[in-house]
This record gives sequence, C-alpha cells and structure tokens, in this order.
Amino acid sequence: MVIRTIRSEWIKIRTVRMNTVLAIIAIAFPLIVVILTAALGSAESASARDLVGLTTGSSVLTAMLIGVIGAAGITGEFGFNTIRPTFAATPNRWKVIGAKAIVTTVVALVVEALVVILAYSIGAAILRNRGAVIDLGTAGDGATAAMYGIVLFAAIVSLLGFGLGLLTRSTPAAVAILILWPLLAELIIAGVLSVAGVDNAFKWMPYQAGANLGNPDAGIESDSLGRVAGGLYFFAVTSAIVVLGSLSTSRRDA
Amino acid sequence: MIQIQGLTKRFGRKVAVANLSFDVEPGRVTGFLGPNGSGKSTTMRCMLGLDRPEVGTTLFDGKTYSQLEQPLHAVGALLDAGYVHPGRSARNHLRWLAASNGLPAKRTDEVLDLVGLGDVKTKRVKTYSLGMRQRLGLAGVLLGDPQTVILDEPGNGLDPEGIRWIRDVLVHLAGQGKTVLVSSHLLSEMALMANSLVVIGKGQLIEQCTVDQFVERFGDHSVRVRSPRIANLVEPLRAGGAVVEYLDDTAVSVRNATAPEIGELAARYQIALYELSDQTGSLEDAFLKATASVQEYQGGAW
Repeated sequence: MVIRTIRSEWIKIRTVRMNTVLAIIAIAFPLIVVILTAALGSAESASARDLVGLTTGSSVLTAMLIGVIGAAGITGEFGFNTIRPTFAATPNRWKVIGAKAIVTTVVALVVEALVVILAYSIGAAILRNRGAVIDLGTAGDGATAAMYGIVLFAAIVSLLGFGLGLLTRSTPAAVAILILWPLLAELIIAGVLSVAGVDNAFKWMPYQAGANLGNPDAGIESDSLGRVAGGLYFFAVTSAIVVLGSLSTSRRDA
Repeated sequence: MIQIQGLTKRFGRKVAVANLSFDVEPGRVTGFLGPNGSGKSTTMRCMLGLDRPEVGTTLFDGKTYSQLEQPLHAVGALLDAGYVHPGRSARNHLRWLAASNGLPAKRTDEVLDLVGLGDVKTKRVKTYSLGMRQRLGLAGVLLGDPQTVILDEPGNGLDPEGIRWIRDVLVHLAGQGKTVLVSSHLLSEMALMANSLVVIGKGQLIEQCTVDQFVERFGDHSVRVRSPRIANLVEPLRAGGAVVEYLDDTAVSVRNATAPEIGELAARYQIALYELSDQTGSLEDAFLKATASVQEYQGGAW
C-alpha cells in the first residue's frame, strides 16, 4: 500500500537534520524581511497590496530552499546508497518515487502556506499598530491570488528540485541547476533568443513564467504569460523533468 | 528456498555475471564464495532487483522479488553496512524501513536490543564503528523475521566476539529452517558455519556442493607419518608410487597413499610409527585451488 511508503518517506524527510535547518531558514527569512520592512519602513504609504508583494516576493527564497529539500530527498538516497535498502524494501520504484513526490509537495505546501500566513499577518499587525490601513479586501486584483499562487509555486519548485535530483543523482549538481536556472540560465537563454530575433523570449522561460504565480501584478504586463498560464507552463516543464527522472530511476541500476 | 536461473548481467562490455544458476536450500547456511570481482555482490543486487539483469530470474519460495508485497517479511538482506544515512539515528533508520513494510515501530527497538545496540539506538549512525553498523544492518535484516536471509560480507569490521556472534546468529537462523546465503572472505569462519557452498569465478558457477565435498575435491590431502626409522620407510613408499616430502628428521608428508596402506607397509618392514594421521586440506587451500584460474586481481609473490 502506498500509504506505508508515504509514511516511510515522511519519517525519512523529518529525521535528517539538514532538512529541519533548511525549513527553519525557509520560514525565518521571509518573516524577518517582512517584520523589518513593516517595522522600519514608511507606514503612511504602506498598503495591503505592497504587503502582499513583500510577502510573496521574500518567500521566493522559501520556495528555493524547499526545492533544495526536494532535491536532497532523492540525491541523498543515492549519495548514501540508502536508495538500495529503499528499493529492497519497496521493489515497486514508481511507488517510492510517487511517495517521495507527494511528501515533498505536501511539505512545500504546508511550509509556504505557513510562511505566507505568518508573514502577512505579522506584517499587517505591525503596520496597523503604526497607523496604516491594511485591508486585504482593498488590495486590488491579483493580491489574494498571488498569496495562493506563491504556495503553488513553492510546491512546483520543490517538485523541480526533486526531478533534477532524480536526473542528476547528485546533490551539488541538482542544487546548482535549481539555483542557476532562474538566476543565470534563463537570462542567458532569453538574451540569446532575443538577439536571434525571437520576440518576448523572456516570457517563455519556465521559471519566470511560473514566478507569475506569486506576483500580484501578473498578467498586467503584455509580455507575460499571466498567472494561470504561466503557472501551468512551469508545472508542465517541471512535470516533464520529473517524468524523465522517474523513467531513468525506474530503469537504471540502483 | 532461492532459485537462481540463468542470471546474466553486463556493465558495458564487461560481463559481470554469466548465465549463473544455482539453488539455495532452506535449513542450512550456504556460503557464497568467489574472488574479488567474481560477481558475488552483483549477483546479490540482481537477486533483489536492484541491478537489472539482462536475462535470468531469481525466485524466493517460488516468487520473484518484485512479486513480494512486503519483502522485508520474506527476505532480509544486508548488502553493505554503509547503506545508511549517517545523520539518522539507528532507531530512525529502522523506523522508515519498518514503516515501509507495515511493521510496528516497537519492532525496531526489539531488533536493536537483539543485536546489542539498544543502549545507543538514539545516537546518530555517524558515531558508530563499522562493527556497530554491521549490527545495525543485521537488525534491518531481522526486522521482518524473514524466511530468507542474504548477507554480503557480514563479518567486515567485526571484532572476534562479533564474528562469533554473527556466526551463531546465522547458524541459529538456519536451524529454524530459514534459507541463509552469506558471502564472506573469512574462509575459516565459512568453514565453521556453512553447510553448503556456491563458488563462482568471473561470474560463472565453479562449484555447488557441501563444504566437505568441496574440500575433498579441491583440497590438498596427505598423510603425516612420524617414526624414528622414517628413512627406512621412505624408499618403499616411493617405490609404491607415493610422493614423499620430509617435514623434519623423523616425519614425512605422503601423497598418493592412504593411511591404511602406509600402516600396512610399515608393519611389513617392522617399522614403529609414532604418528599416522590424515591431513585434510583447509577450505582456504581448496578455495584458492578451485579459483586459481579465475582470479581477477592477483598480488605479486613476497
């Protein structure tokens, strides 16, 4: 039964200290940024929309760190060779891969949702205390959707890390690709394509498209895929990587 | 019972296991021997579906490994004591294993007590010695009380007490009717615990038989004869076709003649014998002789 495999994978993910440390940093960083900005920034000009932007923008790091947990969840297995007792205990490799994907995604959803709720609530409380009027209902189009969207974005990034881990079987390689992809690779590729005459190349970069999920202003710019289409596009690319990695893992020697 | 049929595994162009077939019977300890690089570990990984063989099947009591719904209840395997996350405690390592096969968490404490790690079960594995990791690996094997036990070099890193303990455990398990397959380079240990042997070289079966049959077939047999007048006996022995080698002034080692034949000859020549004993070759000698032509890596003479 897959529930047993999920339980097993849940025990694995929560009994590695590195995951706990990464999760604490992933939660603490956006909270600190939001608290400091709300406490030290200008309260008069602060709005709920700004706070949403700050919350979703700073919690992109949360998504990246959760992606590292997702990658290490599988690369650590190959690195320490625990993939062998894992597959010996559960010979159906698809069951193991599926259980890992589920656990990784749920952890990402819970952690990111916690970050968004805490960061927005604490930020709003501080700003209100300083006399600002913070009302999510008046934050305008896309604000609430961006808060949900960033949670989904984190889940997709965690799956991306997992998929890269399946393909590379190496923690440094998977983490390097996960971080350099948005920071470097997409910029270079989009730049090269633009020089080659491709219009709006940047909007077709998967990570940039996916980042619209957490952007309150997504869809306003004409050169963007928008929140839903961008999110689906990023999810499709991520799914393709996970499927490729899963096929490789199911066929190769453990 | 384990039945391996026509197992073949290649790594690139190198054939690691070539059409290997053998059976492992329940109720006995079967030693799995072969020189370094002979394909023992690859065979074990293929048996468990970890490596994908080109062809061939392995059946555990009639089922392939992938057909086992909860394999830890049927097959317990320790391929390498290092297959553990160093940052986890022994207890947590076993807990994820147990959970994957629906075993209760308290079973992990039971097996950790059984292997003598009860007092250190919450310590992280990176603080463990190799011997302690072997014990943890064995705890994982025992977790589901399986009918079949497969161990690859379980004596690595164990002190003499640990080696004796693991031997007693394996003999006990075989005594319970379980199927036990164990590879080891500690041939003296193997001679003490194994009933049967499967010997392979360069991925191919060299011999499958009992330990006694193996030593009989490949071992060096001689008769040691001691007498104050040994020189008077050497000449008639050699005349009868025996090969005689002096051990010291009063003793010789004789091949191509049995102890009764030598005794009769000594009686005929009225030579008093102080010793007349069969010298059976060791398992190590037999193993080296049987695998001499298939050694992958050989050291130079010293």
